[in-house]
Amino acid sequence: MTVLEKIRDNLERINEKMEVMIELQKHSGRKDGAQPLTDTPLDVMTLLSMPDHLRKTAMTICRCGRATAEEIAEQTTRARAVESAYLNQLVLMGYLKKERKGRKAYFSADRDTQG
Amino acid sequence: MGKILAVHSYKGGTGKTLLSVNLASTFARQGKKVCLFDLDFRAPSLFAILNMPNAECWLNDYLNGTCEIDRVLIDMSNKIPGNGKLCVGLANPTTEAIRDMSAKDRKWEMRALGRLLSLRNSLLIDKGFDYIVFDTSPGLQYSSINAIVTADIVVVATTGDRSDVDGTRRMLKELYNLFEKKTGLVINKVLDATSLSKRQEMDKKVREVYQVPMLGVVPCFCDILRAEGGLIFCRDKPDHPFTKLLDEMTKKIENNQIS
Repeated sequence: MTVLEKIRDNLERINEKMEVMIELQKHSGRKDGAQPLTDTPLDVMTLLSMPDHLRKTAMTICRCGRATAEEIAEQTTRARAVESAYLNQLVLMGYLKKERKGRKAYFSADRDTQG
Repeated sequence: MGKILAVHSYKGGTGKTLLSVNLASTFARQGKKVCLFDLDFRAPSLFAILNMPNAECWLNDYLNGTCEIDRVLIDMSNKIPGNGKLCVGLANPTTEAIRDMSAKDRKWEMRALGRLLSLRNSLLIDKGFDYIVFDTSPGLQYSSINAIVTADIVVVATTGDRSDVDGTRRMLKELYNLFEKKTGLVINKVLDATSLSKRQEMDKKVREVYQVPMLGVVPCFCDILRAEGGLIFCRDKPDHPFTKLLDEMTKKIENNQIS
């Protein structure tokens, strides 16, 4: 990997983190039950109790199993940055698992390890 | 690609199983490849309706992850007229199995949702089925909501009973809408359904109270009661008005005439 590629990767990561922070900030004042939790299964009752903006993302990841923010955004027709923020919020809440493969971040409901 | 239907209701006794069996059979008679699943694990009934007391594997086993879906499916295409295909997956009716399914925790339900969602790939895409029909248990049960989340279309069976009307209205608003599901309403056991004034009353009610498309109005047929749940109308009574209603409902589903 060249120096320029490394710089680009780092800039993309910084950009992604900033987008997540902006989106989280937008919803930080809401009393919508989106408090952080740990090791909580993403079952249908949880989906029902979620705020609308997170439910859409969570349902899409349930259908996909494992996906990037870009793949989720294609299905929800929302901006990739928005989906990235919501996915990261679901990770913080303990519903999703995030893993990096190269430059891509994959999110999953992690059904196999939650039992 | 094929579609997944969940037949659901707020209360029991609204005719979900009758509708599920007969919608699936009607699609099969029209030449479609159909799978019908009993997701009412607390009160399994499909085995009795279809007179199939035994199965190599039950749908319970598939959701438990102890077998693949192929071993659950029972081919009953030879019991339906035409060249279609109808396979069924049964819920285990033993008391032990019902008790076991009632005691599942949230993590199990989450994995069960994953297993149901994967039927889209294994049956609709890989095996080329046109329809999967889920016969669900009434109300807000885990298995039913899993089926609703998995489905493309929810067929809601309701009656004129006041408590059913109120509960159905709330489910439309607080369940199907939240999951952004296409929903079609079937009003069952309607008295005087053939009179014009009754039809107008029904149309008005659906528009004002439920605010979803009407899939069908099923009159209170004595033949349905006499059959004690055992009739496949497209096979046993091809000229019956209910058979014609089923044809109309399946055409609306096929042509995406519900939103």
